[in-house]
Amino acid sequence: MDFRFDIIIHYLPVLFRGTMLTIGVSLVSIIVGSILGLGIGFGKMAPRWYWRWPFHCYINFFRGTPLIVQILIVHFGLIPAIYGSTNALLSAFVALSLNSAAYSAEIFRAGIQSIDQGQQEAALSLGMSKKQAMRFIILPQAIKRMIPAFGNEFIVLVKDSSLMSIVATQELMYWTTTMKGQYLRIWEPYLTAALIYFILTYSLSKLLNVVERRL
Amino acid sequence: MKSRKNLVMSGLVAFLLIALVGCGSNNASNGNTAAGEKIMFASDASYAPMEYMDTDTIKGFDIDFIKAVMEEAGMKYEVKNTGWDTMLSSVKQGTEYQAGLSSVSITDERKETYDYSIPYFESTNMIMVKDGSSIKSALDLKDKKVAVQTATTADDLMSGIMGVDNGDLKRFDSNAVALMELNGGGVDAVVADIAIIREYIKNNPDQKLTGILDTTNFSSEYYGILLPKGSELKAKLDPAIKKVLENGKYAEIYKTWFGEEPNLDNLLNAK
Repeated sequence: MDFRFDIIIHYLPVLFRGTMLTIGVSLVSIIVGSILGLGIGFGKMAPRWYWRWPFHCYINFFRGTPLIVQILIVHFGLIPAIYGSTNALLSAFVALSLNSAAYSAEIFRAGIQSIDQGQQEAALSLGMSKKQAMRFIILPQAIKRMIPAFGNEFIVLVKDSSLMSIVATQELMYWTTTMKGQYLRIWEPYLTAALIYFILTYSLSKLLNVVERRL
Repeated sequence: MKSRKNLVMSGLVAFLLIALVGCGSNNASNGNTAAGEKIMFASDASYAPMEYMDTDTIKGFDIDFIKAVMEEAGMKYEVKNTGWDTMLSSVKQGTEYQAGLSSVSITDERKETYDYSIPYFESTNMIMVKDGSSIKSALDLKDKKVAVQTATTADDLMSGIMGVDNGDLKRFDSNAVALMELNGGGVDAVVADIAIIREYIKNNPDQKLTGILDTTNFSSEYYGILLPKGSELKAKLDPAIKKVLENGKYAEIYKTWFGEEPNLDNLLNAK
């Protein structure tokens, strides 16, 4: 059989290293993206249009442009301007966090707005402040509804992190391409990468199912 | 627990099935063609001046070269821009495309998967640094941050010097992005084909860049036409290539694209 397992075995240590970086970048980006997204989501629900407008623009920009373009803008524009030079790892965290924040913001906003207005009115009539109503009544109900969409966003982010290889972030896809380049073989690198991504995302979706059931 | 085992088993079976499907057709054709049939060449036309797209037309040194070779061989042919991955997989199968023409370097590792024509181009790499850099040779790059294009001779050479899994060796999808990385301060040097470096320095005088040629550490590498294992096409292409190299046609094409005479002795004696 013309399938070179020896190539895969030879590359396993660096593929493992790349996988760890993929997990790390995705995890940090989803955490930072969620925190940013929560703020942006609330911003988009502001009562005045001119308060909502900047958040509306942010979300539409990041949802309306390809991630690959955002990565290049962050890597060759934003990071050198702030950090002084390009930095692949920093670019990965920043680009993926900013992108994820836009999607998370919409998930948070949709989740909160899906809770019936009567819930807030009931909380206020019991003497709660608006903040208390949000914290104790609205958010606990909304979070349960947000989990499936949020889980989907996390899975998409893990896969999207592969695009960071274009600026030489040394994650899983980067080493897959290196392996392909060294041996000029397609199936061994890509099938191995596919299997690793599948294991990552499937495990993640199972984990999120458990979280969803417990809430 | 049982369902988890089933899942793992299903995943592994699917993985192996795809592997078998992907590789099963490898020996279906071996790139053998009937007399008079048009030979299809796959190419990744993103490596100017060797092969590149000028709007919808594929142009470059390789394109002019193969025209001369196929005229010499008396065979019909067509070159299509398929991209790198499609070229690799389709040439390996040898059904839709019988050969790959894309400045592919001949290496021992790659010979395990493909056959090659005789060498048709001598390639040398060059180091590009910012003016005033302390880097003077390839060995000075060992502890520096270096950018290369993935799967090029520069990648092979720097992998040899720095180690294939060295984190400071940064591989980019294209030379264009690797060159931008030097300008952005993310690396200390770029290693790429001499023609690409010279062209970039010439077009960007304001960036204050220097090209360093290190013939001691960067030995010559050769490009060959990529063929499926056991291809009968090799027996027809090799004599035609040799003829084009010897009858002056090659030197004429080379001068048109690079403005200088090729070193034909090196090329004809290369293994």
